[in-house]
Amino acid sequence: MFLEVQGLKKGFGQGSARVEVLKGIDFTCEKGEFCVLLGPSGCGKSTLLNIIGGIDKPDSGEIRIEGEAMSLMKEKRLTMYRREHLGYIFQMYNLIPNLTVRENIEVGAYLSRNPLDVEELMHTLGLYEHRGKLPNQLSGGQQQRCAIGRAIVKNPDILLCDEPTGALDYNTSKEILKLIETVNQKYGNTVIMVTHNDAIRFMADRVIKLKDGMVRHNIQNETKMSAEELDW
Amino acid sequence: MKKTKNPLRHRLPRELKSDFGKYMVIFLLLVLSIGLISGFLVADESMIAAYNDSFEKYNIEDGNFTVEYRANKSSIRMIEDLGVKVYELFFTDRKMDNGVTVRIFKNRTAVDLPCPMEGSLPEETGEIAVDRMFADNNSLKTGDILVSSGKEWKITGLVALSDYSALFSDNSDTMFDALHFGVAVVCEEEFESFSKNEITWRYAWKYNEGIGDKAWQKDRAESFSEDLSGIVDLVGFNPRFQNQAIIFTGDDMGSDRAMMMVLLYVIIVIIAFVFAVTISNTIVKESNVIGTLRASGYTKGELIRHYMTMPLFVTLVAALVGNVLGYTVFKDVCADLYYNSYSLPTYVTLWNADAFFETTVVPVVIMIVIDFVILSRRLALSPLKFLRRDLKKGRSRGAFPLSAHLPFFTRFRVRVIFQNMPNYIVLFAGIFFANFLLMFGLMLPEILHHYEETLPDSMFSEYQYILQLPQAAVDEDKKLESMMNMLKFQNAVETDVEDAEKFSAYGLQTVLGETKRIEDVLVYGIADHSRYLPLDDRFREMEKAGFENPVLASSNYRDKMKLKIGDRVTLKEEFEDAQYSFTIAGFLEYTGSICVFMPKEKLNEIFDLGKGTFTGYFSNTPITDIDKSYIGQTIDRESLTKVSRQLMKSMGGMMYLVDYFSMLMFMILIYILSKIIIEKNAQSISMTKILGYRNGEISRLYLHSTTLMTILEIFLSLPLCTTGLVWIYEQMIVSEMTGWIPYYLPRKIYIQMIIMGIVTYAVVAVLEYQKIRKVPMDEALKNVE
Repeated sequence: MFLEVQGLKKGFGQGSARVEVLKGIDFTCEKGEFCVLLGPSGCGKSTLLNIIGGIDKPDSGEIRIEGEAMSLMKEKRLTMYRREHLGYIFQMYNLIPNLTVRENIEVGAYLSRNPLDVEELMHTLGLYEHRGKLPNQLSGGQQQRCAIGRAIVKNPDILLCDEPTGALDYNTSKEILKLIETVNQKYGNTVIMVTHNDAIRFMADRVIKLKDGMVRHNIQNETKMSAEELDW
Repeated sequence: MKKTKNPLRHRLPRELKSDFGKYMVIFLLLVLSIGLISGFLVADESMIAAYNDSFEKYNIEDGNFTVEYRANKSSIRMIEDLGVKVYELFFTDRKMDNGVTVRIFKNRTAVDLPCPMEGSLPEETGEIAVDRMFADNNSLKTGDILVSSGKEWKITGLVALSDYSALFSDNSDTMFDALHFGVAVVCEEEFESFSKNEITWRYAWKYNEGIGDKAWQKDRAESFSEDLSGIVDLVGFNPRFQNQAIIFTGDDMGSDRAMMMVLLYVIIVIIAFVFAVTISNTIVKESNVIGTLRASGYTKGELIRHYMTMPLFVTLVAALVGNVLGYTVFKDVCADLYYNSYSLPTYVTLWNADAFFETTVVPVVIMIVIDFVILSRRLALSPLKFLRRDLKKGRSRGAFPLSAHLPFFTRFRVRVIFQNMPNYIVLFAGIFFANFLLMFGLMLPEILHHYEETLPDSMFSEYQYILQLPQAAVDEDKKLESMMNMLKFQNAVETDVEDAEKFSAYGLQTVLGETKRIEDVLVYGIADHSRYLPLDDRFREMEKAGFENPVLASSNYRDKMKLKIGDRVTLKEEFEDAQYSFTIAGFLEYTGSICVFMPKEKLNEIFDLGKGTFTGYFSNTPITDIDKSYIGQTIDRESLTKVSRQLMKSMGGMMYLVDYFSMLMFMILIYILSKIIIEKNAQSISMTKILGYRNGEISRLYLHSTTLMTILEIFLSLPLCTTGLVWIYEQMIVSEMTGWIPYYLPRKIYIQMIIMGIVTYAVVAVLEYQKIRKVPMDEALKNVE
């Protein structure tokens, strides 16, 4: 098993103000799988993604990546884990404002011993003509494509996507989903995508529905749709 | 696969370009500070080397002695048999028509050689080469004519005489006087034309075995003096280690080094904090990006290095440029400061590895340490906190309550002030330091003026004449002869001046250990019923108090040594072991010198001078009927203010430099920090514009908060600066200077500083107002990128 999540619990606040966001999450994910974490706002999807990404810590429970327990990783090891295995895509693109498209992608490439070819990737992302532009000269979709480029250029084992289409319109969202699908198929990374858009579940290999901090459904899609076919 | 270079490096030139103004002013401040200090260190070291080399290069004497009449050949031979080589160093002191005194020597060819600075040495009669600094001070140049009672000399060149690097006309002077006294050389023929009555017969000597350290020189000089007095009638004996005209410069040079280094490092620390505030602001602005980078696997170290690059780059380049300017431009500025005070020979610029280390490596290390510590703390948060823009350590405290009764603008400004508190703290450190320098620059001239102005109030008479006992009157080996000579002397020094009053005086010194440096203390013995110092009642009171050897101390002595009534002080004779203990029974307001007072007869008894003996006169009219050779020292207004005049001349230029520098620093710091505050609030300013606020109203919200804080900080810094400066001033005078100049800080300095601070701020505020006007409205509508 590539990714194992066992009995994960996480709460915020203290005393009467304490809220238990994750109440014992269990699921597994195979290498190369496209996994969608689905659920309404506040159900703990992003918290779960952040814990998998090693930028937040659970109160209890364990996550294992290829058998290695994250709870045993010290801060430095966690940074190296993120550096070597993870790619992150956020709803807000968080690009560096005074770096060009190409340089923003290189920010990801720098972290990898074996990065993808930046030129080729920019062609794949449809950003080659914009490679010399700064983020504020790009549309929202182009900025998100650039952020995807930055995440995948280091050829991560796991691509974590936190509502990547949350700030985009329908057409641009579909473009981005197609891109993530292409990346998943072309490079074989495991994709874990958090979304509250129910339609996206049809393109996933595995759908994990969260509600009230618990896994309500863990569905293996027998047949899945391409991003192109999705509609909402 | 070739390793990709860190792409974040591409940001640096763009950041430099987009924030050019900020980096430029910091760069200029650093260049100026480092350049000045580097220049100072290079000039200091080079000139110290030139000064040290001058002893050999110009064959500087090991000492000199003065005799009443020219020594004959056999006397010279006998003296040279004592293991020395003797050289003639005859001179005449000429009062010029413009009021200055010039000591004219025959051109030297064997000892105390002159260093030509400009033009040529005199070759014919009617020609003269004068001291370079004296010429500068009196606006004389080559080709000018010097006139003294009808006699004229054409200046052929400017020189530095190696035995007069500090222009002391008399070795007993507290301070040299390069404004009214100078030295010069004429050719042999010219010198021979001077009347023999005007010549002072001075000889220089060099030991055949070479010269040793100070202790060696002291022992050797003592035995030489003893033997010498058996051969000739000495009227002056001045071994090199006591000759202020030679050693004062060497003692003074290098003494400011520590102060200059502290100055530089304080500036670097402040700039490091300015960078830290700038970076902290950038971190807040870029927190999402930082969170993303950290989440992607960038280490904290990589980000620290990235954010430290620019401050280090600016500091390093500024240090290098500053050093280049230090070696070229500022070196000359600093050397001029020395040339303004001392008559030094020409110097060769020496490569100074220490100066390079202290002005390049140390500033960069200070910058690394401070910025690393602050960045480590700022970047210690988890990636998630950066992504959430939650940059508070620990739990957020939320907004503190402000009464709704307060006007809206007031509440808004209070919030802006608290939001920018770290900036205001750094600003306070900067204002404090700039004001400290400014106060120092303004205070010193005031102290010197005040000293000159108030001195007449505390003078007990217009003139004090300290008589000079001939050696023959105090020769312990020939007691009877000495007594006869003393009687002869006492008769010769009687005056017909009616208001002259006799007193006794005895020169002693403080004991090292009891005081930080050896200080001359003159013990006055005041006659009964004195018209100048009517102290009979006080003397009686102190006798009654039962103190042992009671004395009244001058206020200078009290202030410098922090004396209290009842304190015991030990004083000793120079070069002798004899020590005397006195009890301080009271104080007398007198700022002229460090001295103590007791009844005249008591003094004569303590120092075994004999009943009725006197060694000086107080007088309100000049005494002209005593042979000049019997008068060792005349203390009048001019001689007492010599210190302050010379200090003003030597340090005046430096003080103005300090004033300008501190104002510049003040301006730069306020500019940078208020710019940061406006940039930090650019989005809010933009939003308030969209809401319909006018630029003036926005300025009231954002700029007035900084105005209020700046004014408050200017006021707060003043008492702190005063306390710090008084302490430093006292330490400086106690450890660096003989004598005492009372501390004085008039109210007008505070007013000057406040006005200068506010005017400086006003200039910056106008610039910042323009900046607020230029904040575009779409700033608020922008994506976080």
